[in-house]
Parts: sequence; C-alpha cells; structure tokens
Amino acid sequence: MTTVTTVAPLVITGCGVVSPAGVGLEPLAAAVSGTGREEADLAAIGGEFPPMPLAATPDLRPEEYLGRKGIRSLDRTTQLALVASNRALAGLGAPLADRDRARTGVVIGTSTGSIRSSSEFSRETLVREKPYLVRASFFPNSVMNFCASQIAIWNALRGVNATIADGRVSGLAAVRYARNAIVQGHVDRALVGAVEELCPQSAWAWYLSGALTPAAAVGEGAAVFVVETSEGAAAAGRAPLAELLACEVGTLGMSDVRRGLTVCVERALRRSGVPAEAVTAVSLSATGLRGLGPAEEDGVRGALGDLPPHRMRTAALVGESFSASGALQIAGLLAEWRAGAAIGPVALVTSVGDDGNIGCLVVRRPAL
Amino acid sequence: MPEGASRRVAVTGLGAVSSLGTGAHTFAQAIREGRSGVSPIRSFDASGFPYTFAGEVHDFEPERLLRRLRIDEWGRSSLFAASAARLALMDADIDPGQVSAARAGSAMGTTLGESAVIEALTSQWVHGGLKDLDPALVRQAPAGRIATAVNAELGLTGEAHTIATACSASNYTLGYAYDMVRTGEAEFMISGGADSVNRWEHAGFYRLGALAESVCRPFDTHRSGILTAEGGVALFLEPFEGAVARGARIYAEVLGYGVNCDARHPVAPDPTSIAECIRAAHRNAGVRPEDIDYICAHGTGTPTNDATEVKAVREVFGDALPPISSIKSMIGHTMGAASGFGALICCMALHDGFLPPTANVTETDPALGSGVDCVPGTGRAASPRIVQNHGFAFGGNNAITILGRAA
Repeated sequence: MTTVTTVAPLVITGCGVVSPAGVGLEPLAAAVSGTGREEADLAAIGGEFPPMPLAATPDLRPEEYLGRKGIRSLDRTTQLALVASNRALAGLGAPLADRDRARTGVVIGTSTGSIRSSSEFSRETLVREKPYLVRASFFPNSVMNFCASQIAIWNALRGVNATIADGRVSGLAAVRYARNAIVQGHVDRALVGAVEELCPQSAWAWYLSGALTPAAAVGEGAAVFVVETSEGAAAAGRAPLAELLACEVGTLGMSDVRRGLTVCVERALRRSGVPAEAVTAVSLSATGLRGLGPAEEDGVRGALGDLPPHRMRTAALVGESFSASGALQIAGLLAEWRAGAAIGPVALVTSVGDDGNIGCLVVRRPAL
Repeated sequence: MPEGASRRVAVTGLGAVSSLGTGAHTFAQAIREGRSGVSPIRSFDASGFPYTFAGEVHDFEPERLLRRLRIDEWGRSSLFAASAARLALMDADIDPGQVSAARAGSAMGTTLGESAVIEALTSQWVHGGLKDLDPALVRQAPAGRIATAVNAELGLTGEAHTIATACSASNYTLGYAYDMVRTGEAEFMISGGADSVNRWEHAGFYRLGALAESVCRPFDTHRSGILTAEGGVALFLEPFEGAVARGARIYAEVLGYGVNCDARHPVAPDPTSIAECIRAAHRNAGVRPEDIDYICAHGTGTPTNDATEVKAVREVFGDALPPISSIKSMIGHTMGAASGFGALICCMALHDGFLPPTANVTETDPALGSGVDCVPGTGRAASPRIVQNHGFAFGGNNAITILGRAA
C-alpha cells in the first residue's frame, strides 16, 4: 500500500524568464499591473501566421546574453531556453564551480521539441530533388532533446539531462521529475523549466483546433529555475526566491477534469503539509481554453471551498504557451512576490490539459 | 514511509511490439536465434533513397491488442506504446482493476515522438499550406500522447511522462519508474518506449553518414552504421515483496541506474563521460565491475559508437570485459525504444539463462582491442546474475540501468 507522506521543500535560488512581456521578472510584473503587451514582431520569427491574436517575445536578442558564436544554427525554442538558463544562472551571484556543474542537471519541459525544426526538416525530404538532400547539421535540432542538451553544452552541466514532453503539464512535470533526481541524489541541483516557441506550425494548429477563446493569444516563452535543496542553497550562501513543496501530476482528469483536479490539489496540499485555508493565491493555467478554464476553477474550488483571494492568470498576459505554461506561471508568481504584491505567502500552481493530464504544485514564499 | 524509504523493485511483466514479432517471448526467442527483423521499407516511399532497409513492424494490429483506445484517434508511436503496455500488464498476470485503482502511472521514452503524424501533417503543409492541416491529425501530434496513451489504455490515473531524451530515453524511464516504486511514490509503474520509422530520420542519419545499407553489424570490422527501426516496449514494475506475495513470475530485480550528460557535442559521444555514467550506475545499484556478467550494449553499429563504447567500458572494467552484445544487429535502432528493448532482453536473459547475441558479425574488429566477446551469431546458454544495459543519445544523454536475477 502506498503511503502518502510529506515531502521536504526544495528551493528556487535562480530564475530566468523570457516571455512576450520581455526578458526577466520585472517586465512580467509590469505586465501584471497592466502596462500592456507589445505588438508581436512576426517578421523576426518569419512565416505565415493565421488571423488570430499572437504574443511573441519582443526584440529577442540572444547574442546579448550568449555571444554571437554558434547561435545562428539554434532554433527559437533553444534560443529562448538558453537565454532563460543564462539569466537563471546569472542570478546566482557567483558562477557555479566546475565540480558543481558536474553535479547539476537539466530538466526541460517541451511539447514536441521545436515543431518548426522537425517539420521544416521533414519538409526538405519532400521538396528537394532527392529526399535525402537534407542539411545534416540541422538534424539534431529536429530531435526533442536538442534544447536540453544544448543547455548542458553551453553551461557545462553534466548531471541528468531530461526532456519531459507531457503536453500542457510539462512545466509542472519537469518540477516533479527534478524533485526525484535531486532528492534521490542523482544530482545536487538542476536547471528546471519549460519552453515553447511561437511558430506558424503551432499557431495554425491552435487556430484550426478552435480550442482557444476568441480573445486568447497564442504565445511563447521559457522559464528556467535553479532548483536545489534548502541545505545546498544555505551552504552555498544562495537566498531562496521560493520554496517548492509537493508537485503532483497525473491523468486524473481523463474522466472528469473538475473532480480529478480536486483530488490532485488535495493530495498536493496534504503532501506539502499545508492546510487548505493557508492557501492565499492560485495561478490558473487554462485561462484561454474553451471549457477547460471553468473546469480548472471548479476543480480548485472543490479542494479549497472557494478560489483563494488572489488569482493569477499568466496566460492572459503572455498568451497560451502550452508546454511552457506551468513554468511561466511559476515565474509569474515570483514576479508578483518580487514586486511586493500582496498575494500572501502560499500559492497553488495548477495545470490542466485536454488530454486528461493535470497537475498541482504548491509554492511558498520563503520566510523573511 | 518517510521520503526516500527504499523497497526492492521487481519486473514482473514484459511487452514488445517489434519487427521480430509481438510479445516478449516471441521477441526473445527470435533474438536468441539471431534472426533479423530488417526488411525493405514500406511505411514511406523510399525509392529516392540510396539505402532502403529498416526494422519496420509490418504485422502491427493494434485493434487486436488494445481494449480501450480508439485506434483512429492515436498516432503510430502511441499505439506501439499502449499495445506494449497492454501486453506487459497481461504478462504480469495481475488484476487490471487492482492496478488502475492503485497509484500507478507510466514513463515512456521516445526520440521523435509522433513522427509519422508530423510527416503526414508536413505533407498537408507542402501540398496545400498550413491552413489545410487536418485538426484531427494535429491533435495526435504532441509527443506527450505516448505515455498518455498508456494510461488511457490501462485506465491509470498516476503520472504519465513521455521522456524525450532521444535514444537513451527508455533507460531514463526505467530509472524513474524504479525510483517511483522504490520510494513508494507509486505502487505500479509501466516503463518503456516507442518510436516510428519515418522519412526525416532516415534522411538525417543517411546524411550524417551513419546509415548502413542493409545490414547492421555492431563490433564487426566492416560495420558501417545503423538501420532505422521502430516498435514499442514496456516493462511492468511493482514492489518485489508484493510480487513474491502474489506468486508473480519475477523476471528480474531493478538494482539501480545512472544518468549523466557529456555536455560537449550534439552528436559525438565521449568515452570518459560514459565511463562516469557506468560508475554512477554501479554506485547507485551497489555493485562492482566484477559483479557484472553481461553488458547489453548501445551498440549502434556505427564505427564511432562501438569504438567509443568499448573504450568507455575498458575505463571501468580494465581488460576483464564482460560479454557485450548488441540486439540492434537484429532489430535495428528503435530509437527511444532501444534501451527498453535492451532492458527487456536483459530481463529475459536473467530469467531464462542466456546471453543475447550480436548477429551479422564475421570478424570482431581487432581495433576494439583484445577480449571483446560480442556473443557473435546466436544466443549462448549462460546464467547471468547481474547485467548492465546501455543507452546513449544525441546531446550526450547517457543512461545505464542495472538489473539482477530475482533471488
């Protein structure tokens, strides 16, 4: 019989975020307070987009963070994630020592890698004179672990290197996967996050699916966090930005999203040792998704009695970013806390997908 | 049970959908006989390619295997995964209701996800434009569908992770599933992987110069590369004690695993990093090099891989190399499923008492150094107690699992 136990908190000590609000937590916090989003610069992305709201990272200049060498062959997914990883590590103050990099992993959530890279590579086999006249150097980009392995290569991180493709719940699933890798001693810390690029392929997919509400934009972004044990952070003199308590994910929503999410939230709270009444905020995921949005809210109500006083809807600010949504929600929460917003100390980050996958992560602001 | 509490983990069910047949026992018998599952490509028009062989599953009939999934709603890789999982659950001979009522989930590995679906969508893009994409097909495209299909087919409500660490992905899933059962996070887990043969991968490997014309001969002097391949594989994991209590057939005990990343090059493997991964796996499993009776190699059959792999093994084992063989010589490179098929054959080898062979070897490459026993030809009767299963990938994603005979 499986026993439900309380998990030890892990801590976030570094955070990098790239979103349609801009690079960093400050622009994300500004977006919350309603300064508005820039018009998406689609020319910089290229390709033909469907007639619908779109949200792109403004003025993405990876060379500012990564230098010029070797970035041209990187797809947008990898560029977004590399910039977020760079910012997360830069936020640590002192760089990681080489022996620490050997014990640092990478866990990245993605839908299907860069769907633009894989479908453009596949396209070459149809439009070239011979099907094999593809550009071999772009082949690795078409494989889903390209992004996570590039993060490792650029930063010399030699621990576990996992790519988690769990659809909309990928961001939370990455947190759960990383928790195990750290707690079981496979690594001491990990860069944990998720990424999604805006591209014509996925925008048309959303457009044709009819799954989004008319006002919802297709977005993109990447958020990456340095996650470690509180003991590890203390020993290195790194101040926690937030505590990650239990993270529960599963296909509990296959038969009923509402009921499934209620069970998931209750379990996450129990495993966090946090009573329902202590929850002060919730970050909801399915803001722009027909049907799923209301079901998600009902599911949280089922566990808490009502929605907590503060509700955040990151996707309303940065667009629907599918596999990156959970990670961007966590970043949204950090942005609020950093800006001193009065949202209280305990938040739920919930995530639901139309495939029955759901998740709930409990996040706590560190005691001052 | 406190966090990190440890219980032993047994593999009690195996499922395979492969170019060498359906079901773990059919598959294992073919492997022991050194048979080949390689044939001319049928799943796409390969006429424009110089090389036209792959390890395809021609007799895949998901409607005969699946009980819950509607076949037309899922892509080929998801159907491979769900079918293998159904076979593994049946093989475990456990009440499916008991499994779905428990905390049970899946972790499934893949390299290119629903590649056949993405290629069909790409074809629509080329012929009509992105506005002509079929929404029903679009729904089948996300890679996460693979593990989701397993949970949907078996009625599981636990986590469903599709781990996309390319060609070491199944070993990643086995390690994770092991940790989940070991620590009490889950009562039952399905681990495994799935991938589909597709045009873009065939073109990519051809252009990298890594594709063999029609025969994959790992460790051979004249080895020339991989053959692309497909299939689905699944292992059913449960607590060892519970398996004994219910009188289950225990194929093997999962002893531990190691994972790391070269962090150097997108496609060139690094022997020192692989050696570190082997040592990490040994530490995690509590075994020493001299305990290892057999290595199921990554063994792709490219000149570079096999030389690098043997070099790495030498760094850890010195000149006392255990027998090391590659089943890719028979089924080709099944990508995200490859180390899952490796784990499956390791379980069968431990349970039935044999070493899987490397087919197609006429001369073991002397450049690999002395003492390389790649079990050429057909399987060999033996009684391995502890075995080691390799999985390496693009991006330097190494994962190694250690399995032991049930005792």
